Amino acid sequence: MIKVENLVYTYPSNEAPTLKGLNFEINTGEVFGFLGPSGSGKSTAQKVLYKILKGFSGKVEVNGKDLTEWDNSYFEKIGVGFELPNHYMKLTGKENLELFASFYPKALSQSIESLFEMVDLTEAINKPVESYSKGMKMRLNFIRAIQHDPDILFFDEPTSGLDPVNAHKIKQHILNLKEAGKTIFVTTHSMETADHICDRVAFIVDGKLVATDSPQRLKHQYGKEAVKVELVKNEVQEFPLADIGNNQEFLTFIKGKEVKRMQTLDATLEEVFIKVTGKSLIG
Amino acid sequence: MQKLLKLALMDFKLIFRDPSLKSFLALPLLLFAIVIFGFPYLVTEFEGVKPYLDVMMVVVLVENTQMFCFINSMVLLDEKETEVSKVYGIVPLSIFEFITSRFLFPYLFTLLLNVAMLEVQTFYEVPLMQNLLLSAIAALIVPVYALGINSFVKNRMQGMVYAKAFNILVLIPFAAFFVPEQFKWAFGLFPTHWLFQGMDQLLAGNSPFLNLGIATAYLLILLIVLSKTFKRSHFS
Repeated sequence: MIKVENLVYTYPSNEAPTLKGLNFEINTGEVFGFLGPSGSGKSTAQKVLYKILKGFSGKVEVNGKDLTEWDNSYFEKIGVGFELPNHYMKLTGKENLELFASFYPKALSQSIESLFEMVDLTEAINKPVESYSKGMKMRLNFIRAIQHDPDILFFDEPTSGLDPVNAHKIKQHILNLKEAGKTIFVTTHSMETADHICDRVAFIVDGKLVATDSPQRLKHQYGKEAVKVELVKNEVQEFPLADIGNNQEFLTFIKGKEVKRMQTLDATLEEVFIKVTGKSLIG
Repeated sequence: MQKLLKLALMDFKLIFRDPSLKSFLALPLLLFAIVIFGFPYLVTEFEGVKPYLDVMMVVVLVENTQMFCFINSMVLLDEKETEVSKVYGIVPLSIFEFITSRFLFPYLFTLLLNVAMLEVQTFYEVPLMQNLLLSAIAALIVPVYALGINSFVKNRMQGMVYAKAFNILVLIPFAAFFVPEQFKWAFGLFPTHWLFQGMDQLLAGNSPFLNLGIATAYLLILLIVLSKTFKRSHFS
């Protein structure tokens, strides 16, 4: 479990803090997402949590222990999937993984071959990473993060640079990790990714959290409880969802007519974000 | 130990798979050729060279360290450029283990090269223990140089420029042999000055221990300070 209270962080080269008093908790076995535009502090918050950035103020507890009190054994418990691929280009994928696996005292929970198979990289296992596409390198990032079977995982834009098929597979793997009881902290500006995998999301803008809840509740809260019906002859009408089965107006509207489209008027996560923050996620 | 060996082995793989770094491995061969064939020829053909032979030998010994200074600097800079360095920030590896893993073998290799260099030259009698001591201290230049460059430089291109500058800094105290005695100590600001003077004393058959002691202390302090600045710049 991760508990963060009033987290403030200022980069040494900046005067103003990048993180301005964050408060949140991530429960064991939960996928928690930070959603925000570039520069909002998403990655900075993660870097504090995986101890790359020191000198923060506030309180951070991981598994009931203050972050500053954790020694190097902390890194055995966490895995980090970086936003950009970072591998030794002259080494093969397998050599890269073997090298970093050697730093962990615990034996790998699964073979390197099966990890490559899991992300469809079997054919590239013995090829130098410099011959990999960006998507392949990102998948290598992913399996490097999970290879030592950590309890807590940090993924920074886990689907960035991936084609839709592989992005879907990575999201499914993240959900499988959640099923296995892992605590997962994701940062993304992809609404679709957040909606798909996160149990709860927090909107972060200019270093502050402006809303934290499950995607469903946020969409429900900011959406319209109505159904929109569009007929083939371009007639469109909205009806409240409450007791819709007994809504005579609705039943008359659809009766004997060809319905082109019918949809509930939930807000998308992106719409919620814009409503809550007044900002777009892109840029 | 497994971590140490794995990282050291990986460094050698990286060196051998990079043609520009691999070619640098030939530098000691060139220096050995100069000492074994070049110096005897020079002394035979040009009598005037003989008084400067000890100074030339000192320069060759320091240049012997430059192979791994450059190679290690570039390997670490490549790591920084490709952001692999960030991964070392989140693995259970202490800064001590990291630095030991990356520099122990280059250090030992450089030490052996220097010992061999002093053994193959035919002009001076250097007792083995003093040879070992001198070579061990000279080899400290390798981690100091590589950590120094990597503390201030962000990419390989910048690193090439800094490597030139560092090479000059390492060799500047060479000038102390050609200035009046009262100005000589001004070069004491450079750690290699004490090494140069110690080597020169050793080759002249005098006690080198004061100079070598100062050189050791100076290089070790730099090593500790630069390890800290390197840690800040490399992993985040």
